[in-house]
Amino acid sequence: MEQKSTTNYIELLKNGIFKENTIFKLALSLCPSIAVTNNLRNGVLMGTAVLFVQVMVNVTISLMRKLIHPRIRLPIFMLVISGWVTVTDMTMAAFAREAYKQMGLYIQLIVAFASILARAEMFASKNKVVPSMFDGIGMGLGFLFALSVISFFRELLGKGSLWGLPIIEAKPLLIMILPAGGFFAVGILMGFFNWMGIRNEKKSQ
Amino acid sequence: MTVKEMTTKDMIKITLNLVVIYLLGGLILAVVYARTSPIMYRNAVLEKEAALKKLMPDADKSEKLGDWSVHEKHAEYFVAKKGDTIIGYIIQSFGKGYSSYINTLIAVDKDFKVQRISILGHAETPGLGDEIDTSSFKNQFNGKDLEHLQVVKTETTENIQAISGATISSRAVTEDAVRSGVEFLMKTMRGKETIHGTEKHD
Repeated sequence: MEQKSTTNYIELLKNGIFKENTIFKLALSLCPSIAVTNNLRNGVLMGTAVLFVQVMVNVTISLMRKLIHPRIRLPIFMLVISGWVTVTDMTMAAFAREAYKQMGLYIQLIVAFASILARAEMFASKNKVVPSMFDGIGMGLGFLFALSVISFFRELLGKGSLWGLPIIEAKPLLIMILPAGGFFAVGILMGFFNWMGIRNEKKSQ
Repeated sequence: MTVKEMTTKDMIKITLNLVVIYLLGGLILAVVYARTSPIMYRNAVLEKEAALKKLMPDADKSEKLGDWSVHEKHAEYFVAKKGDTIIGYIIQSFGKGYSSYINTLIAVDKDFKVQRISILGHAETPGLGDEIDTSSFKNQFNGKDLEHLQVVKTETTENIQAISGATISSRAVTEDAVRSGVEFLMKTMRGKETIHGTEKHD
């Protein structure tokens, strides 16, 4: 029994990172995946903020799931989400001021992330606290992973630097840090991950 | 889920649900706000001091001269001194942009020519309007006097060239914030300067 539950948790984490990756597989929340990923630091910070909100929302909803009247469950989910987003927003404004200046707008937009509401509705409102927490961690890590990979390539190719530190002298592909480059990066990486997924499936068959 | 008539019990439960969640949410937010707002305030003050220094690198001190208001927002202005001689003024100003009030600091020399500007805060469209905070836009202001603080859409070195796709934000900085700041300084300082001047020269 113990053995089974641990593998379940690992499955939940894997599900969020690979099988149901918010950006590469579900193609949700693409707005921030393009808007804030023109440097690695912003990508990682945004991913971390979403990870935090997703876990806290899942835990809160799961704790309250038996008390919520089904008729008003969506408004309540939205309230919980916006509450945690505001907490993140204020904390970032105080402790990560430079980054907040650039991405403050997108932090507030986390309220409207379909992926967070979807996990609250599909998973957290039907499952116990611990699995919900792992589901949140998995989905959040998946998002963080996706944003990190996208912003890694965009900053490296567009500015020739990583985390603000210069790596290569030239700017090989300036377009990568412009909005258009965001579409290219997301599209190419999405294609790559799906191709990997299909290949792995064929191998295992 | 089948839609059925709401019973009194349902109504009570819904009401309780909402009351409890609003109370809890409000409580959590209040605690976090109480913790973070002093830090936010302190950071803003430190940032402004650093910005003043960056705007007038030659000055060794900036003294606050007074307050003024623009767009019904409170702003301050400073005199920059090197030793005892006045080398210029710095004024905070606001411009009404596309989606926010743009908070700027403007440094002018004694002849009221703009030396440098910096953007303290704004919430313009990311990717378009937020380019007002790039050095290529801000550097255009260096050495411009009041007459040349005008936005044009063509390439220019005499006036200020608008950011393509963000004319409103460009205008807000140039023709609203910077212009009104410089005008205010000219009006207030010219008066004082003559008095100072007569005192000092004779």
